[in-house]
Amino acid sequence: MNLRKRLLGALADLALILYFVFALFPIAWMVILSLKPANQLFSTYFSFTPTLGSYRTVLGDSEGIPFVRFFVNSLVVSVGAVLLSLLVGLPAAYASARWRFKGSENLMFTLLSFRFAPELTVIIPLFVLYQKLGLFDTYVGMIWVLQLVTLPLIVWIMRSYFADLTPELEQAALLDGYTRKQAFFKVALPLVKPGIAAVSLLAFIFAWNNFVFPLILTSNEAQTVTVGALSFLGGDRPKYNLTAAAALISVVPPLLLALTIQRYLVRGLSFGAVKS
Amino acid sequence: MTELELRDLRKTFRSRGRPPVDAVRGIDLALRSGELLGLLGPSGCGKSTTLRMIAGLESVSGGDILVGGTSVIDRPAQARNIGVAFENYALYPPLTVAENLAFGLKARRGNARGDVQRKVAEIADRVDLTGILDARPAGLSSGQKQRVSLARALVREPDVLLLDEPLSHLDAAQRDTTRRELKRIQRDLGHTTILVTHDQEEALSLADRIAVMKDGVIQQIGTPYEIYDSPANLFVADFVGEPAINLLPGTVTDDGRARLSDSVHLALPVPVTQGREVVVGVRPEDLSLTGEDGLPARVVAHEPLLEAGVATLALDGVERPLVVLTGPEVRLAHDEQVRVAADTRLTHVFDAETGELLR
Repeated sequence: MNLRKRLLGALADLALILYFVFALFPIAWMVILSLKPANQLFSTYFSFTPTLGSYRTVLGDSEGIPFVRFFVNSLVVSVGAVLLSLLVGLPAAYASARWRFKGSENLMFTLLSFRFAPELTVIIPLFVLYQKLGLFDTYVGMIWVLQLVTLPLIVWIMRSYFADLTPELEQAALLDGYTRKQAFFKVALPLVKPGIAAVSLLAFIFAWNNFVFPLILTSNEAQTVTVGALSFLGGDRPKYNLTAAAALISVVPPLLLALTIQRYLVRGLSFGAVKS
Repeated sequence: MTELELRDLRKTFRSRGRPPVDAVRGIDLALRSGELLGLLGPSGCGKSTTLRMIAGLESVSGGDILVGGTSVIDRPAQARNIGVAFENYALYPPLTVAENLAFGLKARRGNARGDVQRKVAEIADRVDLTGILDARPAGLSSGQKQRVSLARALVREPDVLLLDEPLSHLDAAQRDTTRRELKRIQRDLGHTTILVTHDQEEALSLADRIAVMKDGVIQQIGTPYEIYDSPANLFVADFVGEPAINLLPGTVTDDGRARLSDSVHLALPVPVTQGREVVVGVRPEDLSLTGEDGLPARVVAHEPLLEAGVATLALDGVERPLVVLTGPEVRLAHDEQVRVAADTRLTHVFDAETGELLR
């Protein structure tokens, strides 16, 4: 019995190790690639002289590609999109969790449909619109279009958080003499903080990773890292080492954010105000 | 203190594509100042809706609500000064007990800081929370949560207090102590109170008067004794009492007894016209096993509990079993033949068609 248990445990470990290798190999490959000097790029051996030259080049703007600006653009656009979505989405989520009004379900479904309709289906009309409205290659334009990504996520997830709060908490506040607005800000909102942290992180990652919108709707001024990193592949010779370095640098913000917010994430997933 | 009056209070829920639901169909109630009225009924009878209408959490479809003689129907919940202790306590998890109590006071401006602290300390003393003022709700027992919830409703000094199933989430031991506490606190502070519950024991032990409700209509209002001793109809008789009353259908014979079967005839407490279809109600505690006279019956089952026993008997030719409360010393065997007698003065007789008590 004991032996069998241990054998099963060992097998499970082995399976996990195999999976980790499978999952982490591309990342390891990227790290290796980014550390290789340009002249050893295509060697198939793992022996090479490691150098940080690729990172220096990428961050140093020496190839005529303003990677640092792309990076800042990504930050501005992603943070902006999440903030705007929270501003609009939290009241929307609360309202749809607490009241059923005419067309409320249709509205929620429409919002959700933004997520499952492929971005490519709307990208051409959006491109034309953005050109005409002067939103092409602007922060405002990017933040706006990213609402298609972040808003449905925030509204739908926060809705379930609000729905999990028993309405009696707010009703008790109303009876005490608080206004509806106060009941929302002083009672409901503080209780869903872990949810806000979790959903903001998710929304940020989705916004940060978005590729199609910046590819078509920006050219230079508002271009983000996802598209920018590819610029190193252009020209006479594709510089895979630079692309790898750029990609790895662009992983840093979501990674840092996830690590700092982890505490809330766990609480956010196992949250309940009143057990009943 | 304040009187509370409900006049022909109504609530109809309307939703698109579905027929309207009349949850409350014209309730008239008048509570004296300081009275505790138990609103008793099965789930879905409209008692909670009534409570929510009084509190202002639910709109009113018709009728009027008067607090201290003034209609409050046009006032929002914030302006009614009614305290509610919710069934699930509705305590704010991140705040301590003291902060929870103060939270309600801070809604209204003009409550100075010192005032808030004084009032919190005062109510904590009354409701016996002094030792747990710094605890958070998650760390409290259900009984303590219920007391905090009550204190939270009381700290604002409301005109009327509403209690929604205050004991339903407590275990048996806590229920007993909390019930006594609840009664003491309500007596001490003298709030006009409505207690909503589906638990007859809770209503019988706490309330000055009980209103039994079914399908949005009040069936009977009276003191616990009135409800128990002369139930107005079959529903009230059946709903109040544990174990439940025996309800035996029969026809009135020429000698004024109820014929339950060919061989079983039962004397009635009031004269009833011959041939009338009736239902005879006898509470298990009003039946006794006798030596000789009495109806012959066969023992189907006997549950010997410690302080009393519950015997299920079969009367000859009668379809429904007869439940009898026996003394603790009684030992009965399966299929044993016994004789059972009912105290005629404590027997109730109802019209079989309308279900109303015949007096």
